[in-house]
Order: sequence, then structure tokens, then C-alpha cells
Amino acid sequence: MRARLNGAPAKATSGLMNMQDTSDADTADDPERALLHRYVQGDAAAARLLTVQLTPRIFGHAFRILGNAAEAEDVTQDALMRLWKIAPDWRDGEAKVTTWLYRVTANLCTDRLRKRGRGVPLEDIAEPADPAESAEARLQRTAREDALQAALDTLPERQRQAVVLRHIDGLANPEIATILDVGVEAVESLTARGKRALAKLLGARRDALGYDDDKT
Amino acid sequence: MTKRETDTLEAHFEQARATPPQMPAGMMDRLIADALAAQPAPAIGGWRGFWRAIGGAPALGGLITATAVGFWIGVAPPSGLPDVATQIITGGDDYIVADATSLDTYTSDLTAFGWDLDEG
Repeated sequence: MRARLNGAPAKATSGLMNMQDTSDADTADDPERALLHRYVQGDAAAARLLTVQLTPRIFGHAFRILGNAAEAEDVTQDALMRLWKIAPDWRDGEAKVTTWLYRVTANLCTDRLRKRGRGVPLEDIAEPADPAESAEARLQRTAREDALQAALDTLPERQRQAVVLRHIDGLANPEIATILDVGVEAVESLTARGKRALAKLLGARRDALGYDDDKT
Repeated sequence: MTKRETDTLEAHFEQARATPPQMPAGMMDRLIADALAAQPAPAIGGWRGFWRAIGGAPALGGLITATAVGFWIGVAPPSGLPDVATQIITGGDDYIVADATSLDTYTSDLTAFGWDLDEG
């Protein structure tokens, strides 16, 4: 079953894109859809709740792909605006709201990566403040986050997107296949190759990142 | 991949999942403002919806004025217009009445309470 959705920016410039529906269970388990209905009916609380629920996920994904907070914010804002615009025409039984939004975000990130080319310096990852964390532990955590982000940035964009969606955003392969518009086997291949490359890069820095100090 | 490499990589992923990147200051407020600005107006039903649909108090004032003027023209038309009320009541198709006096006897109560004929 194929569903047709408006509003997602395409890898090319088309205003329409096809999205594969993953399963009926996919549509049943979509709490954001009810909120989107309330949003369309003018419920201000639904607007706030949807924004608060969706923004961290979309921003986090965009940040991991782009490695830059300002660009990730722009992409998040753009993706959410597209959701608000398409909301009155949203059709039940198609893709999940989050799947649609991840796909829009992935394509916006792809557009940005292609525009700027490779080799843009990474921004330091903003650290959530944790008063209980020692200075040494914080430094080590930051070093590991930077190392992961630097390693992710060396991956081809499709591998990077697949790895981030699977192992950081925690999505299932069929949903990732819908987001990236590829088959499930292609997702498995992308994540496997991406993981191998990351393991090689990070494994070489294992000692420097303090992994011998603990059990990992 | 060796088990050691796999474990190291999984530890990185676990940490990334546990510590999502912090959003720039004020970002959430800006996005909520965007969402509210783009939100469709709430649908209003019943009398409030009807009241809003006709344009509220200003539109109602105009509507009342137009109705009153229309009613007055209907029952007491200016001299240049046919007396439609009389035609309807008498069933005639000619507004020029030869015997106004006879008409006055049975239409005076119905055509502007006889005011138009009194004035004529």
C-alpha cells in the first residue's frame, strides 16, 4: 500500500512524494495524530504539546546529521512549519506523523549537506548541565560525544542518516526504510557499513577516550 | 567487527541516546510561537458561529437598516414605483387604479395602514 503525502521537501524539487506505509500497526500507534487533529481544530494546548514533543527529536536528528546547532534549528523550524501547513490536509491511514516529519527533516538535511559540501568544521556539542557530574567525567563525556560526532561526519550521508535513525533515534528498520525511501535490506546494508566504519574510527581512539578505565 | 569494537561503539550510542544535544536558548519558545501563528482559527458552531458568519454587530446594523428600508418601500412606494402591495392584495396587474376611493375601502388596512392612500 502506498500513500501520497504533500509538503515534504524532496531530494529533488518535487512538492509531492510517495511514502510507503509500513503497516496497519504503524497507523494505530500514532499518538501525534490525535494531537494534530486537535491542532487543526484550533486547540492551542495541542499546538504547544506537539511542539514540545516533536522538537527535541527532530532537532537531535538534525544536529547529529549536520553537526551544527544553528543549522539544526533552521531545519527543525522549517520541518515543523511544513507540518503545520499540511496539518489541515492530513489524511488518516497514511504515514505516522513522526515518520513524515523525520523524512522531511532527513531531506532538508540532505539538501543542506549537498549545498555546503563536505568538510565543514563541526561545532562543539552543547552539554546539558549535570551538577552531579564531576569535571573529569564531564570532560570525558564531552570527548566521547565529540569523537562520535566527528566519526559520524566522516560517513557518507545515507549511511550517517541510517545509523543515526537506527542507533540514536531508535527507530525500526521498516520505518527507516520509509524515511529514506529505500528497502529494508538497503537500510540493513547502510547501517552495517556505517557501523563498521564507526567502529574502526572509534576503536582506534578507545584508549584516548578512556574506555579502558571502565568495563566498556 | 570485533566484540571490543562493537562494545565501544554501543557505549557511544548509549551515551548519545542518554544525552541528546541541548537546544539553543529560546528555540522552543520560538517554535511554539510559530505553531500558534500557523494554527487555524478554532471552529465556532451554534448561534456564535452564525453571529460570526454574518459579520457580527456592524453587519447586523446594516442588515436591520436594509430590512426597514425595504419594508417601507414595499408598503409605501415612492410615486415613481408601482404599488406592489396593492397589486398583490387586489390581484390586479395594473398599478394605475381608476377608482382609488373604492380601493380605499378594503385595502386601507393592509397597505401601510392606509397611509399611502391618505397621502395620495
